[in-house]
Amino acid sequence: MRKYLLFFLLIATAAPIHAQKLSLDFPGLSEKASEVVDITLDAQMLRLASKFLSATDTDERDVRDIVGKLEGIYVRSYEFDKDGEYDRALVDRVRSQLGSSWKKIVNVRSKKHDNAEIYLDMRGDQAVGLVVIAAEPRQLTIVNIVGPIDLDKLSHLEGEFGIPRMSKKGQP
Amino acid sequence: MNLESQLRAALRHKQPPAGFRESALAATRRQPRLRPAWRAIAAAALLTLLAGGTTARWVEERREGQRAKEQVLTALRITTDKLRDTRETIHEASNH
Amino acid sequence: MNFTAAAETLPDDSLTRAQAGDSEAFAELVAAHEAMVFSLAFHFFGQRERAADVAQEVFLQLFRALDTIESQGHLLFWLRQVTSRKCIDELRRKRLRSVSLDDIAEPATPAPDPLLGRELRKLIARLPESQRIVVTLRYQEDLGPEEISHITNIPLNTVKSHLHRALRSLRRSLEES
Repeated sequence: MRKYLLFFLLIATAAPIHAQKLSLDFPGLSEKASEVVDITLDAQMLRLASKFLSATDTDERDVRDIVGKLEGIYVRSYEFDKDGEYDRALVDRVRSQLGSSWKKIVNVRSKKHDNAEIYLDMRGDQAVGLVVIAAEPRQLTIVNIVGPIDLDKLSHLEGEFGIPRMSKKGQP
Repeated sequence: MNLESQLRAALRHKQPPAGFRESALAATRRQPRLRPAWRAIAAAALLTLLAGGTTARWVEERREGQRAKEQVLTALRITTDKLRDTRETIHEASNH
Repeated sequence: MNFTAAAETLPDDSLTRAQAGDSEAFAELVAAHEAMVFSLAFHFFGQRERAADVAQEVFLQLFRALDTIESQGHLLFWLRQVTSRKCIDELRRKRLRSVSLDDIAEPATPAPDPLLGRELRKLIARLPESQRIVVTLRYQEDLGPEEISHITNIPLNTVKSHLHRALRSLRRSLEES
């Protein structure tokens, strides 16, 4: 009996084998927001998008390389006209989905910029998922990328498609 | 004046350089006109019929693919936006 | 889809006459819309010569495709759409990553507040391409997000997001400078 109990305990506590897709369903939030970005791209849509990313254009090729290995990209971004239009418990609900394999690698609080938390789903040395949570009084952005992710490669997309690159002095 | 009014003022129409119109018209005089559109439309319609709707599916897939591509780029822009903001904040904090 | 009204000074039958082969009528179309087309390109690139080259290509393409234009309103929509696409295609082809502030030569007619206007135009020319074209269409042509979405084929929510981020970025840059 103890053998079976131990077996079930191991199964229950083991991290999922596949990279984790979060539940990002926030009923009614879009109606309150003044601006909404809602992107849901599963593996099939990412393969389709990859076909239309140029293999010869260096910038689009970098994006193709990143996206080609992913299983999903999910973005929910809401802007509000007033403070306090969304329930902070929504953020807690997102965080509560992150199991033991998720490591918080960044937690910043800033007056001038967004507050942000960045989590990576680590399996050994490999990151198989990324979550970014930026929760401000008038803005909520959650990004969930599912699949093998290289933060360095992702950061290198800055400077492409006209996104200014950070200089050493911290100015674009 | 708020930013939007300032933008409208800054982005008012400007006249092109002297000689622009003459140059543009001169270029058109060297060009043949295309055949009337209805012939192209008829040809496309015939192709669609012959292809049994494949062309229409192909067009729809292209449209979906372009939309998906645009969404990928938007998603990655938002992500790198947040990563950059985070790095800026850390950088500022380490300089103080 | 609603097309906005064509340029006010254009005779009603200019388009029909131009389609019939009247070169003077085509010249009237160019005269009526050259400022709009040139300005879209100039505010996108911040460079007069490049803007004039793109504008010239737009009118050449118009000449070739005249028979496909259905109305004055459609003409305006067509010109905005083709100019926007040519600007983005040209940028991607030539990989203009940054615009030197010294490159932005001002045309002869200055804005009412020349210093602020010039500063804003420089900042706009440094925005990412999609934000740049959306801001220009919004504030140069006074178009709503839906019309911008139709012209550029960018999804409506993405247009709104671009506008929001661009304004935020411009505000931040103005505060810092």
